Parts: sequence; structure tokens; C-alpha cells
Amino acid sequence: MASRGIFQGEPRGRSVLPAVLIVLVGVLISSAVLFWWRGTLSGVTTFRRIPLPGETAGDVQPAVVTEAPVRIGETFTRYDGVPSQAPGSWPAFRGTRHDNLAPASEKLADSWPVGGPPRLWSIPLGEGYAGPAIRNGCAYVLDYDGAAGADALRCFSMEDGCEVWRRSYKVKIKRNHGISRTVPAVTDRYVVTIGPRCHVMCADAVTGDFKWGLDLEREWGVEVPMWYTGQCPLIEGAQVVLGVGGKVLLAGVDCETGKVVWETPNLRKWKMSHSSVMPMEFAGKKMYLYCAVGGIVGVSAEAQDAGTVLWETDQWTVPVVAPTPVPVGDGRFWITSGYGAGSALFQIVKEGERFSVKLLRKVDKKLFACEQHTPVFYQGYLYTVLPADAGAMRKQAVCMEPDGRVVWTSGAAERFGLGPFMVADGKLLILDDDGMLTMIRASPEGYQKLAQARVLDGKEAWAPLALADGRLLVRDFGTMRCLDVRK
Amino acid sequence: MNELKTRDAVQSRREFLRSFLRGALLVGLAGLGVRTLLGRRCQAASGSERMKLCKGCPDVAFCSSAVLSAGRKVWQLDPSKCTQCGRCATHCVLQSSAVKCVHRPAQCGYCRLCFGFFQPGATILNSAAENQICPTGAIRRKFVEEPYYEYTIDESLCIGCGRCVKGCSAFGNGSLVLQVRHDRCVNCNECSIARDCPSDAFRQVSATTPYLLKPGAESVAL
Repeated sequence: MASRGIFQGEPRGRSVLPAVLIVLVGVLISSAVLFWWRGTLSGVTTFRRIPLPGETAGDVQPAVVTEAPVRIGETFTRYDGVPSQAPGSWPAFRGTRHDNLAPASEKLADSWPVGGPPRLWSIPLGEGYAGPAIRNGCAYVLDYDGAAGADALRCFSMEDGCEVWRRSYKVKIKRNHGISRTVPAVTDRYVVTIGPRCHVMCADAVTGDFKWGLDLEREWGVEVPMWYTGQCPLIEGAQVVLGVGGKVLLAGVDCETGKVVWETPNLRKWKMSHSSVMPMEFAGKKMYLYCAVGGIVGVSAEAQDAGTVLWETDQWTVPVVAPTPVPVGDGRFWITSGYGAGSALFQIVKEGERFSVKLLRKVDKKLFACEQHTPVFYQGYLYTVLPADAGAMRKQAVCMEPDGRVVWTSGAAERFGLGPFMVADGKLLILDDDGMLTMIRASPEGYQKLAQARVLDGKEAWAPLALADGRLLVRDFGTMRCLDVRK
Repeated sequence: MNELKTRDAVQSRREFLRSFLRGALLVGLAGLGVRTLLGRRCQAASGSERMKLCKGCPDVAFCSSAVLSAGRKVWQLDPSKCTQCGRCATHCVLQSSAVKCVHRPAQCGYCRLCFGFFQPGATILNSAAENQICPTGAIRRKFVEEPYYEYTIDESLCIGCGRCVKGCSAFGNGSLVLQVRHDRCVNCNECSIARDCPSDAFRQVSATTPYLLKPGAESVAL
């Protein structure tokens, strides 16, 4: 009888081999499920640190970290605060029209009493530079709660600063020149935030109910910018528009559902900057301008071709960009940055159905630049505060014509810092690093100081200003205050 | 006769042992005295901020500077007045200058992009020479953990040009400052850098508190 292997007889061989295979397949499936479960639910990931000098990449062993995925919007707390009945709004970074100009209805006092404008309320915040948005009697701030280790969208009453509600989620963030630094965008229905580590959250603006969350790192492989996210979300219609910089360059997300409506492929692998997306219209075409790390792009903002690249340029490749492009009419826009970059004026051109962009001129950092905030374009003139590396002109306020001719500077005796500035009622409000608020005439006729007062006691008062119904919100590293600046 | 020889030999050995013990005792006492003399800890190196500006000099006897000479004055640079003009690198009588960049880690942001380390506009953030602002590569950059990097100064390479200080002052926390290092300074009656300093940032301070640190630039013992 011929041998049939280790098993003698056909029936026995048939019954055992499939069983072994089934067990093996079961083990494989179990391992795959276990791997998936640990990889997704427990957030086990590996990372490889950067090689030290003298090391090669192969010398560095991967380390295992067990950071759980962030459960965006997981916690909600209601407080006793009641929204104010005061009218007016400042619903996003740089206001309603994204130009940092207060509506004409805002009338400011021409001078302040001794001691400065009356303080209506003052509240402590987690460390950082996050600014507020105002709508329907509430001020919204994306704070960082250091004790809880959580990003916290906090809704305060504009009446007395009492907290109305808080929607938060745990995320571990180490101090890196402060933590929080973005301004929410608010409509009557939604409030959208971007956290320091690129977590986008949408909540109901009135009730605080969680709508959806989006982790840009996990979704699109975004590299969190140095010193954390500085980009502020833009709500256009029913969509939030985000500058992304991972697998996609820009994206439009439906505010109600969180569904991605359109994406712009990131073919040139540009990275997320601190600059925010700016809406603009030229030659009858609505578009979004975004200054990424790598270049500037204009994409269509119209429904039929949303997200399509209209033009792009790599003639502005500075490693750190915080200011947003400033349209100055006729398809021209200024972009500026600190850290020695200076400024540049670009012209969008339409030839037939095709758009392109060309660099008109560059301006030295000693003439016109801004490190953290965006210049204001008001009545045909640009206003800014020069950075600290502008030589003899450092930290001075500057008025400049759109073609690049400097009209006036504030002078050696009048210097400011890295703080915010805005225009309201024909007056330029400038907050310096140490909380000194200065009001000057926003006019090309010259530097004319109207009032000055210390309104904050802390350091690094860099958060963007917000003004609604004559109530000005200012903040430094750890405190936000509401000032009455009405006429 | 043999007995006498044996006695002499015994006495000689005893004498030798006595002499040896006396000598050893004297050497021990002398060593103890020297140790006591040298063992006074250097007060300049144990200041509150412990930044060890006078590094490698734990004992008074080894202090080569005038730091410990109470009542004496030494030259120092006020960082709040300094404009990093570059003259400290070229106007000192020493080659290289006694002015060095000093790093204060407690004030450092440990940034990945440090403007005291990188050239403005550097897009690739590695230690390649073309990316560094220091002309002599005197700043060491070391990854600690995300998102932090540590920066240290190699004073043997630093020429005191202040380029790193300018970058750190303009965009960072100002943790880099120029200071006259008193383990090098020969304390000229008229400091040749001070004579040509355009911002009048040099002044004489007490030798016991020879360093000036921002803010307020009060002098401190380190």
C-alpha cells in the first residue's frame, strides 16, 4: 500500500487539514482585528524622532506612543451666564467683511477719561493669544484649559463676562510660546473653531450642541504649524473654508453635516501656515486666497467649480506667515510677513477664461511689514505696525499708499509692538505688547494721537481685537477684558 | 660586634620609620592646609540663577577673573541698550573678543525655528551651515522632544558678533544676550569696546555682581 503521508487513509487527512487552516485563518483575522483595534481605538502609534547631529535616520529607533484619538466635542458644561441683548457683532477673525474695519454704526469716543476707557468686565483665560468673536450677545473664545488639558470653546455673556456654556475636548498640548491662538467663526446657527493641533469643531452657536469634528492631522495628514495653529476658520454661506496643506491644499466643509464638499489637491505639497483664507472677487469671479508655506493660491469660490485652482505663485516662500492677504482693489493684493520677509504686491490677471498672477513689487521690511497681524486697508491707505527688525523704524505705526509709497510713520517716540490693531469710526486702535491701548486718527494727513491708556496688566497682548456695540474686547496672555469705548 | 651591628640596624630602621611618619604627617598637614585654602567655594558660580557664566572654576584660587575682588569694578555690557552693532567682535583688545553670547535657558522658548540660530528666510530647518546665522557655527542645536529644541553656545567659537542676539531679540524671547566674560576680560582701564560703543551700552559694575541681564539689566552674581 502506498504511503499517503503522515495520515493513513483519505478520510482522516481530509478532516484535519481544513481544521488547521481554519485555525490559522482565525488567528490571522484575530490578529488583524486586534491590530486595527489598538491602532484606531487606543491610538497606538509609533514615531521616529529626528536624528541628532552625527546620527543617521537608521540609528533612531521608533518609539511607541499611546496617545488616544481626540474625541472632539466630548464634554459640555452649562453655566449661569445669560447672553446680552446688546446688538452688533464681530463674527470672525477681522470682523464681518474680514477687513478689520468696524461697521459705520460703531461710534467711538474721541478721548478717554483718566485711567482709560471704562472696564465693563474682566475674566481670566488659559495662556495664549486666542481672540474672541462676538454674535448675538455672546463672546466666543477657543481657550485652552490647562488644568483639564482640553481645548475649550467658551461662550461668555457680553453683558457681564459670565460664562454661558463650554464645549471642550481633551488634547495634550505643551506650552510653545503660549497655546491658544485662533478666533472662532460664528453665524446665527454655527460656531466653528480650529484648535492648536488642527482639530476643527462645529457646535450650535446658541445651545453649544456638538455638530461635528474634524482632525486635520488624521484626515489629511496635515503637519501642525510651528507654534501651533494660527489659522482662523472662514464661514462662507453654509460652508467652512479651511486652508489645509496636507493631502489637500484647501477644503470646503458643510457646516451642518461636516461632510467635505470640495477639496483642492495639494500637488505642490505646500504646508499649512498661520495665515487665514481670504475671500475676494475679481473680474466677476469669486475666489479664496490662501497664503500657504510654499506659495499663494487662488481657488474658485463658486459652486460649479469650487476648489479649482485659478492661479498660484511660489514667489512668496517664507517659512512663517501669519498675516492674511489684503486685497486693495483692481485684482491687486498685498501680502506681508515678519522675520525679515517684508511685503509684496501681487496683481491677478485674467486673460480670456484663464487667471494668472504676477508680482508687481517687493517692499523692504524697514518700509512695510507686519509680523503677526494683518495690515488694514482703509479709505485707500494701508496701515500697519512695523516689526522689531525694521531698524530705526522698528515697531512704528505706518501709513502707506497701495502702490508702496510710505505716507507717514509714528516716529521714534511712538512705538508699539506685536499687538493687534483695527479701524473703527475713522480711528486706528493699536494695542501694544504690554497692554497699552492707543487711539490715533486713521488718516493719511499724519500721525495724530487721540488717546492712550493701559488697559491690560499682563504680557504679550497679541490677541486680535473685537468690537461690537462700542464694547471692545482686548486680551493679553491670561486675561480678557471688555472696555466701553462708545461715544 | 655582631650584636652592635644588629642594634644599629634596628635603630636605623626605627629612625627611618620615625622620619617617614614625620614626613607623612607634615605632608598630610600641608595638604589639609592647601585644601582648606583652596576649598572656599566660588560665590560667583553659585548665584540664584546658576547660569554658570564662569564655568569650570569652582574654587577661589582658580578664578582667573576679577569677579571675586570685592570693591573692584569691571566692565559689562547692558543688554537693554545693546543694538548688536557688531563692534564687540572687532574692537576688543583680545583676539577673539571677551564679549560672548550667553544663553539663558530659563527664558528660551526652545523653538524648532529659532531666529537666533537660523538665517531669516531659511526654509529647511536643519543645521546646514548655509542655514545658520552664526558665522562660526558656535551655536549647537539639539532635538529634545516635540516640539522642543535645545540651543547651547560653544564659547570657544563665539566671536561676540551678536547676530544671534539680534535675531533672538527681534523675534524670540530674548534669551540670548551679549556679555563680557570675565574669565577672558583683562579689564582694561579704558575698555576699547566701550570707547566705540554707539549705544553707550558699556559701564562698570561691581566685580561681585559682574553680569547684567534683562529686564532692567540689574547686575547679578552668577
